[in-house]
Amino acid sequence: MEAKIGVFLCNCGGGMKNIDFDAAGAKVAKIRGVACVDLISDLCLEEGREKMAAGIRAENLDRVVVAACSPEFKEHVLGQVLENAGLDGHLLCMANIREQCSWAHEGDVTEKAVELMNMAVNKARLLQPVEKQDIAVDREVLVVGGGFSAVASALQFSRVGLRSTLLEKEVVLGTATRELEGLHGFDICSMIDAVEGDTNIEILTSGRMTTAKGTIGDFTVTITKEGEEISRKYGAIVLATGYRTELALGSGLELRADEEAISRAKIVSQEQLFGMLNDPFIDTKPKTIGFVFGFSDENSRFPTLATLNNALAAKKEWDSEIYVFCKDVEVDSEGVEKLYREARECGVVFLKCEVLPRIAVDNGRIAIEAEDVFLGEDTIVACDLLVAEELLFPTEGTAALSSLLNILLDSRGFYQDENVHLYPVASEKKGVFLVGGCRGDLDTGRVLTDISSAVMSIDKLLLSGTITVEIERVKADPQKCVACLTCIRVCPHGAIQLGRVDGGKEIAVIVDLACDACGICAAVCPAKAIDFQGYRDDQLLAQIEAIEES
Amino acid sequence: MDLENKCVLVVGSGISGIASALELGNAGLHVYLLEKEAAVGGHAASFCCKATDVCSGCSACVVRDKIKEAVLHPQVRLLTNSTIRELDGKLGDFRVEITQQPRYIDEERCIACGLCTEVCPTEPKAIYPPAAEATPFSYILDEGLCVRFKGEKCDLCQESCPTKAIQFEVKAKEQELSVGAIIVATGFDVFDAREKGSLGYGRYPNVVTGLDLERTFSREGYLRPTVSNKESQNIAFIQCIGSRDQGHGYCSHVCCKYAMKLAGLIKYQSPDTQVTIFYIDLQTAGKGFAQFHEEYKESIRFVRGVPVEVLQDASGELEVKFEDVCQGKVCRDTFDLVVLSVGISPRKDSWDLARILGINLADDGFFDIAEPLNSDETNVDGILLAGTCQGPRDIPDSIAHGIAAASKVIHILSEFASRRTGS
Amino acid sequence: MNGRIIAFCCEHSAYPAADLAGKLGLHYPETLRIIRVPCAGRVDVIHMLRALEKGASAVLVLGCEDGACHHITGNIRARERVKHCDMLLREIGIDGRPVVMFNLSPNAPHKFVKAANEITKIIKESREAR
Repeated sequence: MEAKIGVFLCNCGGGMKNIDFDAAGAKVAKIRGVACVDLISDLCLEEGREKMAAGIRAENLDRVVVAACSPEFKEHVLGQVLENAGLDGHLLCMANIREQCSWAHEGDVTEKAVELMNMAVNKARLLQPVEKQDIAVDREVLVVGGGFSAVASALQFSRVGLRSTLLEKEVVLGTATRELEGLHGFDICSMIDAVEGDTNIEILTSGRMTTAKGTIGDFTVTITKEGEEISRKYGAIVLATGYRTELALGSGLELRADEEAISRAKIVSQEQLFGMLNDPFIDTKPKTIGFVFGFSDENSRFPTLATLNNALAAKKEWDSEIYVFCKDVEVDSEGVEKLYREARECGVVFLKCEVLPRIAVDNGRIAIEAEDVFLGEDTIVACDLLVAEELLFPTEGTAALSSLLNILLDSRGFYQDENVHLYPVASEKKGVFLVGGCRGDLDTGRVLTDISSAVMSIDKLLLSGTITVEIERVKADPQKCVACLTCIRVCPHGAIQLGRVDGGKEIAVIVDLACDACGICAAVCPAKAIDFQGYRDDQLLAQIEAIEES
Repeated sequence: MDLENKCVLVVGSGISGIASALELGNAGLHVYLLEKEAAVGGHAASFCCKATDVCSGCSACVVRDKIKEAVLHPQVRLLTNSTIRELDGKLGDFRVEITQQPRYIDEERCIACGLCTEVCPTEPKAIYPPAAEATPFSYILDEGLCVRFKGEKCDLCQESCPTKAIQFEVKAKEQELSVGAIIVATGFDVFDAREKGSLGYGRYPNVVTGLDLERTFSREGYLRPTVSNKESQNIAFIQCIGSRDQGHGYCSHVCCKYAMKLAGLIKYQSPDTQVTIFYIDLQTAGKGFAQFHEEYKESIRFVRGVPVEVLQDASGELEVKFEDVCQGKVCRDTFDLVVLSVGISPRKDSWDLARILGINLADDGFFDIAEPLNSDETNVDGILLAGTCQGPRDIPDSIAHGIAAASKVIHILSEFASRRTGS
Repeated sequence: MNGRIIAFCCEHSAYPAADLAGKLGLHYPETLRIIRVPCAGRVDVIHMLRALEKGASAVLVLGCEDGACHHITGNIRARERVKHCDMLLREIGIDGRPVVMFNLSPNAPHKFVKAANEITKIIKESREAR
């Protein structure tokens, strides 16, 4: 049975003067399936929308075309009008005759407006309703990691009422983080105590994720712990695996240091210096300390902060002479500029160099040689202790885990693609989040907001235990699907799985909750088996054919 | 914990306020999104896309997406042209007195048909469309140009309006809102480059700020050559204008990146243009930036040392006096356009809001936080901070901060509700 | 539909950019017919070819900037398909009916107008060449 299509024209109060609405209306009325054409001048307002609802009911319409301004801000509210009049909101198609027609061209655009309306009518004829349903979701969260980010996340999840599992590959939580405590300004030990006492948090140490299946609200994960395999279900997964540093002493850099110097603890990391500063039993206090940072890795927020804190502490505790070699001081975090001033006022000397200093062991001391930009001269500093450059790396297992979960890494190998729409903490897969240093951006303040963002996002998804979804908006036709796996491989959101429908053959099943309605699967399917309501092949082609008819 | 009927007030509809409002709305709370101006989105709404042949990560488009989401969100109620007059009460039970300034054009009824502009008798027109990206896209009546406000009688626009959206008899409207918590997200003031008189802003037309440049690109799409008979342009960016100086002991976070991205855009559109960036320390950290920095190093000339003087010569060209540290002497280079990378300053009206709400300002003029690592809580229970009103941040950080504040609000209101019911 | 240019516009980028162009009062050729898609990656070669088959002078596919696709890979897939379609047309000897991909952001109305003007120019030049 042919659909009864109603066309509502809005002339924007008479403002669209380059469209002859009477002529347009008359032409549109002749299109096959158009049951009525109504001109309303104020569709934006409540009054206009009521007229439209009344019109829908009176004519018993089953598809609606609105030719007016852009659907961008109107589609939503007009879809509501259809719902109120007893029609599914998806049975609306809008023709943009204002921003993309009347306002975009000089002179009379009636012909174009009619064509746009014809396109909309042709598409509307083929529209199908899409129903909604509440889907139950698993309310537990898997937090991978055992350091500050992971532990803080688990504690916040518990606070909002969500249970979580902390999955740590080492034997105890906080292995890497304990040393960093004071340096970052947090108390990991009491946080771990809190986690151990929290009944909402399960701790699995010496464990790794070995398989991960499913989608948001319904992940099935296998954890291998001390040879045993544990299967768990989670609603969301948070990766908070931190980062790894290495002293920049490798070949290719201008650091010619020998292992002796390192083993005699003359070349240290920031954490090691922090440890020394807090060691009441230290035998020799270094008289001259050199810091080098920011040459090999420009992501130097943490090195800058660590240098400033350590330098100020060393001045206070040991009254050492301190020379800092760097290219740029990274001050774009709260409070860092103040610390920088304080450090200089205390007598810490900053030498700005364009290239990495040459470092050598000389007579039992470390010699740092570089050309300071302001002095314009080569400067050599002989120091008792060198706090060397540290390079930031993703933790071991990052590539494997990203492969397991099928999520992208960034250009430096850290989690999360560098796509602005994912920031701060989302991955391209709904329900999988990346938090803290494992994203490659390291700074305590930002880590805290990361954690809140992830908790907030997951809370919104899982807390009530159900999520409302559109059912089968995108669906593979079991008759046509041959399970070639193309769509499964191509879906950027990991929303398609292999499944059996009604115990029959294996076909691609698009998981409604995980689907982001892009239609890439529909385009790539070799059998054209995927129906994407609102953007089906026949609906797109009908718009093209409508132009030809005009 | 049932938060379904809880209301929260978000003061300021910049990107942070919007991020907070969206999170709260998605969690089921009712949100009043208060905005002083007529349009939402704050400063970032007017930023331009800085993509070359790849996205440069400036996030201006993310702002547009979030504005659209907020405006369409069923739980978010927009109150534009509104400010807070008074506050009473405490966490769980704040009573906020709001004043809504008359706009003469009801933005819920204006359909942007343009008929009013056609009939307006003044030149330039006293009634006109807002900036293209303005949301709500509602026309503006300029009291300074309109003849009615000069004593003449005229109601041509009012008569022409098909939706009766124009009302002259409107007075300021007062309203009381009952909310459980408040998020202050009032944003920042752009540093007024006129304060650095020797740089010529406000005196020389070809000395502009980074924000001016963003708006030029938004409106025009490209940069018009300033000195017409030249083949290629010579442009200078001067960093740290209003940051890292006597009155502003902080880095504004955004300027190095926006300068480099704008420079990248300029070079992409006109490869012959020479761009120089004068800086103190180049801020290049952050996800996604390293890949661009290599390119920028190739195409942009970086000079360490911030100039102190810009002078315009007879031909309109700008002479910039700076210390070339590598040569160790004072130099003068000539440019066609000088862009001052102005920083993020605390809003001057923060004083008023601080007084009304009873929250503290920090030494640097931004709103103060109660504890070091809790960057969203103030000294008043139930009043939180989001975004640049607490300290400089870029767009992604402002969004994250807004989400964090919303997260905190939900936690605080839940705890408050539990304490009340004793559960 | 002689002279029509079919423009498949991604709802996250080109569609709002076209709206902004209208709001700014920027004009572009009236021959453009915009078809809204959820992602440039939804557009398949068959859609591009059907448009040409029905008489379109050119086909534009407009999606997000490289690296900013809301669906991560949609714009890349679209670009590959546009290239493939272009190659198919050359193989069967059809010349002067361009199929071109452009990338832009939702707040880049000038890029939208530039794309429309450029494709119009290409059509004109290839007509004059024949």
